[in-house]
Amino acid sequence: MSNRKPPVPRSKIRLKEAEALVRALKTHQVDGIVGERHIMICRMKEVEEKLENSRDQVRALAARLQFLRESERTAIARELHDEFGQTLTSLQLGLAWIALKVAPQQQAVQAKTRLLSALVTSMIQSVKRIAVELRPGALDELGLVKTLQSEAHEFEGHTGIRCRVKTNLGKSTFNRVGSVSIFRIAQAALTNVSQHAQASRATIVLVKRNNNLLLTVHDNGKGITEKLAHSHNSLGIIGMRERALALDGTLTLRGSKGKGTTLRVQIPLSRIL
Amino acid sequence: MKSHKRERRGYAKSRGETYVFRLFVVGNESNSTQARGNLARLCEEHLKGRYQIETVDVLKDAATAHKNNVLVTPTLILIKPFPKVTVFGNLSDTRQVLAALRLIGDER
Repeated sequence: MSNRKPPVPRSKIRLKEAEALVRALKTHQVDGIVGERHIMICRMKEVEEKLENSRDQVRALAARLQFLRESERTAIARELHDEFGQTLTSLQLGLAWIALKVAPQQQAVQAKTRLLSALVTSMIQSVKRIAVELRPGALDELGLVKTLQSEAHEFEGHTGIRCRVKTNLGKSTFNRVGSVSIFRIAQAALTNVSQHAQASRATIVLVKRNNNLLLTVHDNGKGITEKLAHSHNSLGIIGMRERALALDGTLTLRGSKGKGTTLRVQIPLSRIL
Repeated sequence: MKSHKRERRGYAKSRGETYVFRLFVVGNESNSTQARGNLARLCEEHLKGRYQIETVDVLKDAATAHKNNVLVTPTLILIKPFPKVTVFGNLSDTRQVLAALRLIGDER
């Protein structure tokens, strides 16, 4: 006696019908699956639409937040420059006046005045630097390419990592949102290079190709792992990706052990001109 | 010659036979509702007065679905005229559905 159960009878379906069935499933035209004991209702299309709507909302929110952040940064930079900067300049002028009025024999007061003056000069420079970091005025005045070149120069000075900018853009200009987004992506990419890559060289390439703007940041460091490149904790990368997506662009990040990391951003020119 | 064959393939329409359909749906789900509407429209446009539609809600009558080997909903089965035809989906592709039901020549 065998305990084997009798085989479950299978529905006979012809090849042509099977193809039609697959087509219906692929185009989300099926809403129920008839099982032997249960009827399964599937609402894949609705679920996918809801998911896509939800993603769109999150992206719109992220874009809005970025816009607000940039506006806030601009406002703070302006306040710092106009209010704080002016006050410090007045202070420096006042100290210079005091230095002139102090008798030559009051050396201690003179020395103290010089020290304070140097301190104020240093503070003015700090305020300028912070204001530029908050809102690179060069973006408005000089454009994206020159600002990136300046950023690369600053980066090299701060980190000792050689940084070059290659471009075929010439004097092309982009809209404000586009320029800020591309600049911030490049800035964040350089921050990642300095903090994680252990690189000695970085290259920024910014080119127009087939109605797209391509930004590539490559370094010769240890190479990002696939896991890290797609980790939910890599907030810097998520931020860069959101900036690209907000402009209907894409961002890819590839690392190769010992050969470095390449970040590639592609944005349709129509969104940033 | 080929076009003549196509005309002959659609002979049922010209002979004025009654078309009998069985449409399997699941409740008032989106595709099932669309399939009901699309089938009624197609029949009114192409088979006015010569069709019967039996709608089976598989939630209420799973046995008929099993008996007809129905795997998914919506499924439309052309019972008559012979040969039997099965069409899946919400029947929104009018040309494809008409071709499958032999109401027009299959131009694919």
